[in-house]
Amino acid sequence: MEKILEINNLSKNYGSLQAVRNISFSINKGEVYGLLGPNGSGKTTTLAVIMGVLNANGGDFAWFGQALQKEARQKIGALIETPNFYPYLTLFENLQIVAKIKNASEESINNALGVANLLKRKHTNFGTLSLGMKQRMAIASVLIGDPEVLVLDEPTNGLDPEGFAEVRNIIQLQAAKGKTIILASHILDEVEKVCSHVAILKSGELISNGKVGELLTTEDIVYIQGENQDELFTVLDSIDMVSRVSRLEDDLVVILKKPYTASELNKLCFEKGFVLSKIILKKQSLEAQFLELVKK
Amino acid sequence: MIKKLFQIEKIKALSYPAFKTLMIIHFLLFFLVVLVVSQVQFSMSGFSIKKLYQFPNIWEFFPWVASWFNLFLAVVVILLVGNEFSNRTFRQNVIDGLSRNDLVRGKLILIFSIAVYTFFIVFIAIMLFGLINSDDYSMSAIFGKSYLLLIYFIQALGYMSLGLLIAVIFRNNALSIIMFILYFFPIEPIIRWIFESHTRRYFPIKIISNLTPMPEFLTMTSESTITNSSGKSALDLQEMGLTIEPLPVGLNVGLAVVYIIVFIAITTYLLNRKNL
Repeated sequence: MEKILEINNLSKNYGSLQAVRNISFSINKGEVYGLLGPNGSGKTTTLAVIMGVLNANGGDFAWFGQALQKEARQKIGALIETPNFYPYLTLFENLQIVAKIKNASEESINNALGVANLLKRKHTNFGTLSLGMKQRMAIASVLIGDPEVLVLDEPTNGLDPEGFAEVRNIIQLQAAKGKTIILASHILDEVEKVCSHVAILKSGELISNGKVGELLTTEDIVYIQGENQDELFTVLDSIDMVSRVSRLEDDLVVILKKPYTASELNKLCFEKGFVLSKIILKKQSLEAQFLELVKK
Repeated sequence: MIKKLFQIEKIKALSYPAFKTLMIIHFLLFFLVVLVVSQVQFSMSGFSIKKLYQFPNIWEFFPWVASWFNLFLAVVVILLVGNEFSNRTFRQNVIDGLSRNDLVRGKLILIFSIAVYTFFIVFIAIMLFGLINSDDYSMSAIFGKSYLLLIYFIQALGYMSLGLLIAVIFRNNALSIIMFILYFFPIEPIIRWIFESHTRRYFPIKIISNLTPMPEFLTMTSESTITNSSGKSALDLQEMGLTIEPLPVGLNVGLAVVYIIVFIAITTYLLNRKNL
């Protein structure tokens, strides 16, 4: 599989603050790769370094197998942090600059404005737009020249629910076209719904990465009560289908291994001589798993 | 690539209201001064105002007048570069695909274009006023000192490249403009004052401002009117930087070009080294 981006031991300091510490991961063609982490975890800094606007203090990275060259830059559409445009220029003029840099046609400007639903505003000055419109303008600029790779840092910042859904659709549409997408976000739901792979950052360190389905799975959690809770606890703690068991007030909280189900647990308890008076199935939220990961 | 960078800079500059305003002010002030002075009735032995508007003297006078307003051009450059930092558009340009060296090249193209514009404005004014007021229309009289306009062109490049450097150092419009003006006065004059008079001639502002010195006949007239009882000049005009210092023109131009190259080199270094 063709490697689009490879990062090796990347580090970036701001004075004494280590914003990114020895991060390494790689992204293959066609992947929708999420960079997930709380605010200040180093997502934006990592993206700014790999886009060449911040100089790394250590490590290196390669786009398309090479150091970041002009040719590589033209294959990448990127939005880092906030939308940065000339406030006194119209949307069209701003995108004209982007199109000239990317050697793209003026037709692609109208296409991009159409996708971002800003065609009617093309002759409006950028400085007069609302925050949500500015964000959509940034999405439009990323699409200029139909780049192979999209780098999106918090693309739904400042958007209302409708805009949020629109941007998500745009990303999914681009992903369906086979584009490689790098999406930095602190919104787990956004990453889970859009990304195929994820890297989780915390305090500048990479704490985990892999396929979304493997890293952030929805485990079955069963809350049970029965006679002789202490004995039941000991039995559940020793059987294979249970991943973890704990106490919560009067309940025993059982996390089941895949693919076991709550009814199989009930059956097993009955076979072992325990009649359950309460059995409630809940799914562990992704947020809970994510928070557990970043708390480690 | 140069054409592309020129087109990009054209979009950025021509739609910027402050750019248009300052360029119009620059144009109007220059024409206003040369028009007003042309209406002054003043003559004394061997000198009259009309002589300033005749070939070949006009090649000295007009670039000297135009050089007063080069500060406007440098401020224009500072504003355009400072905006790139405050709007974080330099950063975006790099994200979109320009190299950091392209950022410098783009601004150099802008500076060169403004210098060409002002060159032609002064050239047109010289031809217009010169042809109206001259008595001698020989080619040697008309174009004999036209090289002085090229030196004015280098001076405009010098002021604007210094403006570019200061804007890249301070990354803030107000601070950059203040520091640029303070460097003219008092920073460099104070530094010059510390050194011996021989060394003072080699400082950047001194070198660049001396490219378009006050026309010689004006200097002579001024000095003759400000003398004390012993017949010596009461004011050391040379010390005040108002008169031509005896540095050969060729050397002065050469040093100015060296300073311009140094300003550009430092600008390039800083833009490559600093985070955007």
